[in-house]
Amino acid sequence: MMFTLIGVNHKTAPIALREKIAIGRDELAETTRALSATPGVTECMIVSTCNRVELLTVVEGAETRVTDFLSKQFGIDPELLRPHLYEYRDKEAVSHLFRMAASLDSMVVGEPQILGQVKEAFAVARAAGTVSGQLEYLLQSAFAAAKKARSETGIGSNSVSIASVAVDLARKIFGSLQGRTVFLVGAGKMSELAARHLVQQGAGAILVSNRTAERARRMAEEISGTVVPEVIDFAQLYEAASRADIVISSTGAPHPIFRPEHGHAFLHKRRNRPMFFIDIAVPRDVDPEMNKLDGIFVYDIDDLQQVAVAHMEERSRQAIDAEALIAAEVERFHRRQRTVNVAPAIVALQKKAEEIRVAEIQRIHSRLGTLTAEQLAAVEALTRGLVNKFLHPPMQALKQAAREGDVAKLDALCEEWAVSPAGPIGTESEDAVPKPTEGAGKDLGNVNADAKANEGRVEARQ
Amino acid sequence: MYLLWLRVAAILYAAGCVAVFPAVLYNSVPWRKSCVHLAGLAFFFHFVSVVEMLVLAHRWMPVGVREIESLLGFTVAGLFFLVWWLYEAISLGIFALPATFFLVFAPALGENAHRFPSQRTWMSWLVAHIIALLLAYAALCFSLLASMLYLLQERRIKAKVKPGKSGWSPADWLPPLDTLERIALATLEFGFPCMTVGLLIGFVLVQQTSLGASYFLDPNILASFAMWIVYVTLLLLRRGVGLRGRRAAYVSGAALVVMMAVWAVNFFSQVRRFGP
Repeated sequence: MMFTLIGVNHKTAPIALREKIAIGRDELAETTRALSATPGVTECMIVSTCNRVELLTVVEGAETRVTDFLSKQFGIDPELLRPHLYEYRDKEAVSHLFRMAASLDSMVVGEPQILGQVKEAFAVARAAGTVSGQLEYLLQSAFAAAKKARSETGIGSNSVSIASVAVDLARKIFGSLQGRTVFLVGAGKMSELAARHLVQQGAGAILVSNRTAERARRMAEEISGTVVPEVIDFAQLYEAASRADIVISSTGAPHPIFRPEHGHAFLHKRRNRPMFFIDIAVPRDVDPEMNKLDGIFVYDIDDLQQVAVAHMEERSRQAIDAEALIAAEVERFHRRQRTVNVAPAIVALQKKAEEIRVAEIQRIHSRLGTLTAEQLAAVEALTRGLVNKFLHPPMQALKQAAREGDVAKLDALCEEWAVSPAGPIGTESEDAVPKPTEGAGKDLGNVNADAKANEGRVEARQ
Repeated sequence: MYLLWLRVAAILYAAGCVAVFPAVLYNSVPWRKSCVHLAGLAFFFHFVSVVEMLVLAHRWMPVGVREIESLLGFTVAGLFFLVWWLYEAISLGIFALPATFFLVFAPALGENAHRFPSQRTWMSWLVAHIIALLLAYAALCFSLLASMLYLLQERRIKAKVKPGKSGWSPADWLPPLDTLERIALATLEFGFPCMTVGLLIGFVLVQQTSLGASYFLDPNILASFAMWIVYVTLLLLRRGVGLRGRRAAYVSGAALVVMMAVWAVNFFSQVRRFGP
């Protein structure tokens, strides 16, 4: 069994290709089931976002190929798709998944959506019945690692888009944005986006004005949601502006439309309540001199861009720490997996020792004569103690070899002790996979607990 | 009988003082009406009291500190009503009405009405007086601190300060401007009644001392009155005039300097004090 991950993303494929293989939310379950029907695939899930389509599978052997699935499913020439595809196996696949969930592979490093999208894809796959032990454990570990990366490093702490930087600045001035009035002057996409952000943060009223009234009305309709925008006649621009706490301006005017004399008038009408001008027009709509007025704050597109870039640089610095953290988590995952994989051999060893112990007791039972219950219990405890003490060094050696991933040493030890690495006959293969709830975020390095549990199971069988 | 009218006037002036602050600072019409009516009634009873007092004394010339205090209070109230009549403005009332009340309060107590039943009661009022004044000073300090932080934060936002190389900036912890503004105003509004109550209690307490009204020549007491005027001025500028932002912070800074200077003068000066 091994993990494989194939896919395309914003780094390897142009949008023209990505949009051809993008899987909509409604089709995701069906496509996941189709993937699971591929011969050799035991578990699978599909992550499909605007920037990536990735197929994560557990396959029976290295010969199982899922690379052709996408071309078959979407009717794309495999030769056209192949140059853009990447394929990872086992450790690389795990590492890629962990990095993706932690948003280290995203277009905007640290963006929070990807974790939710991976979780959603996982939920769809689980509902479709294409996920069980292996992927469940892998995904839970990836989620835990991503959460850790976000909380222990600052990859997601600062805003990196112009709109969110504007919202952050507005918060620095007004604190809560509840009930604040936003005035959109000019109908630009970016101002619309900023307005949406502000409304999400609780802005109470939106005023929209444009030289072309029709465009203003259209924009008002587009952003209409929890707040119904009020369309303002452009002739009433200055009267309406004095009502606004935040003015987002993006007109095509060749000269500033908001000048210091207007600023003075606004402040007088507003009894000095502050105003925040977000000027995303080029040439600028707001005279920079306005920023010198007490109570008026002006940020133009360059100012916002500089803050966004500074935040982006900061994220890049934080991403180095996050990469190290994720690498450690990936290593930990593999260590846990290896340690867990040795459990069947330990169980086999314990079972063999127990059989010898029981056989020996039965052999000398007649020579011991009549023993009281207490004496029998003492003999049991004595032999069991001896066996455990003898088993301790080989068990430690097995665990050590597993932790180091030294397969040759592991095989040699199993051979020396005449046990099968796959465990005693009758041991379920699922024993090797910890339950997700146990596995996520816990170090399973101590196999003593597993071994004891297995020992109990061996005893029960006897 | 004049003492009774004077006491009625004092009570009505006190009520007028309570009404004048919301009337001026919050521009409230009902409070404005109440203030004018209460102060008008007080002025009427004050007039009756002054006339009766002088008629009883068979002279038209005030004699003694209490008579002069009462007449001075009457004049201040008269000027307030003159301004109101001419300009329909009551803003000056936040100075004039409390001043009138303070001037009328001592004469209204009468000659023997200022004795406390026991030393313990006197001490309790003294503790209340000190706590109220300390709270007022603390609130003023806090308000001024918030104003200073406002200036710092405003400068950062205006200067478009970007995060440092480490991604951390020493002033990142500063609250938003609006929050700082609210803190500055709220602490001022909390401190003002404390200051007023503290001064009033002190005013009553001082009647028990042998010094009486001359106690008010103590620089400490004068400083307290000066700070009360600073408080009222700050409140008037912030609430009444609508002064906010950088200029409000500068005014607060100036008030802080005045306060520190007054305290320093009191602490280090060799000017004789009358206090115990």
